[in-house]
Amino acid sequence: MNSNLNVQLYKNRKVVWLISLSLSLLSIMGMLICYKNPRINAPLNLGLDYTGGTQIILDRSCSNECLELNTSDISKNIIALKNVDKNFESNSSPNLTRSQIQLLDNSKSISIRLPFLSASQSESVVNEVTKSFGPFINENTSVEIIGPSLGKQLLKSSLISLFFAFLGIALYINFRYDRRYSFLALFALFHDVLIVCGVFSWLGYFYNIEVDSLFAVSLLTIAGYSVNNTVVVFDRIREKSIVDNKLSFKYQIDKAVGATLTRTLYTSFTTLLPLICILIWGGSTLYWFAFALVIGVIAGSWSSIALAPSLLSITSNKEID
Amino acid sequence: MGRKNYWFLFVIIFAVLSIFICINIPFQLGLDLRGGSQLTLEIKPTPEVAKITPNEVEGVKAVLDKRVNGLGVSDSQLQTIGTNQLLLELPGEQDPSRAAKVLGETALLEFRIQKNGSEQELRNLQTQRNSIESIIKLLEENNNSAQLIKEINTNNEINKLFEKYNFDTNQILELDKFILLRNNLNTDIAALFDSTSLTGQYLTNAGRRQDQNTNNWEVTLSFNNEGGEKFAEITKSIAGTSRLLGIVIDGMSYSEASVGRQFQTAGITGGAATISGNFTADDARNLEVQLRGGALPLPIDIIQIRTIGPSLGIQNIRLSLFAALTGLLFVGIFMIFIYKLAGFVSVLALSFYSLFTLSIYALLPVTLTLPGIAGFILSIGMAVDANVLIFERLKEELRNGNTLIRSIDASFKNAFSSIIDGHLTTLISCVTLFYLGTGFVKGFAATLGIGVVLSLFTALTCTKAILKFLMSYQGLRKISNFINLNQIPKPSINIQQ
Repeated sequence: MNSNLNVQLYKNRKVVWLISLSLSLLSIMGMLICYKNPRINAPLNLGLDYTGGTQIILDRSCSNECLELNTSDISKNIIALKNVDKNFESNSSPNLTRSQIQLLDNSKSISIRLPFLSASQSESVVNEVTKSFGPFINENTSVEIIGPSLGKQLLKSSLISLFFAFLGIALYINFRYDRRYSFLALFALFHDVLIVCGVFSWLGYFYNIEVDSLFAVSLLTIAGYSVNNTVVVFDRIREKSIVDNKLSFKYQIDKAVGATLTRTLYTSFTTLLPLICILIWGGSTLYWFAFALVIGVIAGSWSSIALAPSLLSITSNKEID
Repeated sequence: MGRKNYWFLFVIIFAVLSIFICINIPFQLGLDLRGGSQLTLEIKPTPEVAKITPNEVEGVKAVLDKRVNGLGVSDSQLQTIGTNQLLLELPGEQDPSRAAKVLGETALLEFRIQKNGSEQELRNLQTQRNSIESIIKLLEENNNSAQLIKEINTNNEINKLFEKYNFDTNQILELDKFILLRNNLNTDIAALFDSTSLTGQYLTNAGRRQDQNTNNWEVTLSFNNEGGEKFAEITKSIAGTSRLLGIVIDGMSYSEASVGRQFQTAGITGGAATISGNFTADDARNLEVQLRGGALPLPIDIIQIRTIGPSLGIQNIRLSLFAALTGLLFVGIFMIFIYKLAGFVSVLALSFYSLFTLSIYALLPVTLTLPGIAGFILSIGMAVDANVLIFERLKEELRNGNTLIRSIDASFKNAFSSIIDGHLTTLISCVTLFYLGTGFVKGFAATLGIGVVLSLFTALTCTKAILKFLMSYQGLRKISNFINLNQIPKPSINIQQ
């Protein structure tokens, strides 16, 4: 392993830009397609946290294998509640025909998605499903009801915190380095966040994967990670430009990237290891959270090794070559 | 080397202290890990109170606090979020609809005096109510049996009642139908009474007890001085007459009592009363809680409910911890493989780091949630990164032909600015998230933020202290312990141009 890997970033800069550009375009396209899709109607397939609604998860108590259940039967029984249950008497009661029912983990559990219900209405649904399709492990029943106004509020607060976090980071780099570095670090950050959003918009379009509050958390983590990585490379470039100031700037960049390449790869790898473990063994709760982070870490490594430094060479005032 | 050994001693003392803390102070587990219910309540403005100020929030919170304590859920938490919302956590509570009912409903208690000339009408309504009560009891005992319902439905009297209240008999469950019928009758009974100035605001306490003879539950009330006087006055005015005292809650009469002739001179003194309204244990408890809690100054709306089963939480915590530990094991193997002795040092430092972090979680205390655990795992990634940065520099220095001790010092010095920048930028986003985020986003920010600060400390102090301590042993002070000898020293650095 050579200490200063011979990286020829400047020579290949156009390939780097082409790759990043096409990935970004693909992401924007995915978000546009989601936005145009009447089912999603937003750049990302927003989950319960942001749209409001009810999710009921019931764990079936079957000894060995659970028999298949017909989800449309469950749906029928729920719709029928409108006529037999006093909690759904009033005309303003939610539309039960808009239910989504899925069998999870080899039909071991049932997930029911409904519009926003009241506590007693959700109880009626649980009772009805238990009566007709039970038995269930009552202890494991989880019910989540999020009002539509709270959903909007959560979305708003997620976006606001993202904005201020980015602003804070930009100010810090501006203070530690200069405007150019700060701009490029943010550029790399947006690139990474965009790609993660793009991947999830496609996942939402094809596999109906939704983004929740945890997704917002993962975006912030990715933002932090991305800037962290970019800053380490920038730090090296600045150091090289002082130590090897006789070299032209493009070689300083190449050398700095070469010097930090091993570190970036190792760090990405050690960060990916626990994440991959969560993907494999962590259960369903954190699966998509870890998945978003894996994409973000890979994109973040790419943007800090290749994209940001190569862009630095064109923003530089220094003579190139 | 003496001073460096002091640092090492410090690290060891900290570690021992952390182990002690972790063993003795239990971790605070979030609802997603221990199971329970979480409710978000929104305070609604009324025409009188158009804007909700912190004062109003406090008022609502005080009433809700009393009601929550009445529910008897241990460790319950009620916090304010934003300007008009409250977050209520009920660990272990699996039935949020019960909580929702008690919290949301305002029990308005009134004492009323029967209107003159309504005796006959009241007696009729009471008789009807009694027969409905016995039907309800029968249905409850026989689990709403179809046979019984058939019999009841042929009863003419009852069909008349259904007609009176315009019941569409096919719409709802039979038992609920009769409960609704009883409520209608109770509302009609209450209409036969005139209001007095005695209401629930004079109540000092409410309790419940079981009647020895009928096994029915009763709710007991006690008034403050002013209320006691009013109660005496009211009872005095009707003592020995045929007029009854109606105890009305939310517009429905729960019981109507006659006041004996013996109270004609002074009324019922002592400021206590009992409501006996055929309550079940649960009804009595809910009513007691609502009465004791007082009326809500503003209506509330429940906008979010989360219920998580406890075994689901345990399963999740196991899975996540297992995943985290396995991931760390791999990271450790990787570090030793790449950095040899230094890798071993980093494994030690990371173990100390994990210990410190966990003990801070226990001390503060941080409520551990699933995203919180994710934040912890990620902060370990950051801690590893700091070590990688240092050791890469160390390798570089060694390749450049520097001596071991000088290389170690230089590696920490050179990596310092990168480590600081990386940690601070992450810390900035943590702080932002903590202040702007809500609920578990906050938890994630807290755990990651603590992790980042401690990781900075461990990377710059622990790793160094352990490394220096090991270097005080001559046998370990070999460059080959850090880097393959064939890589060094290169006589000069080649620059291709």
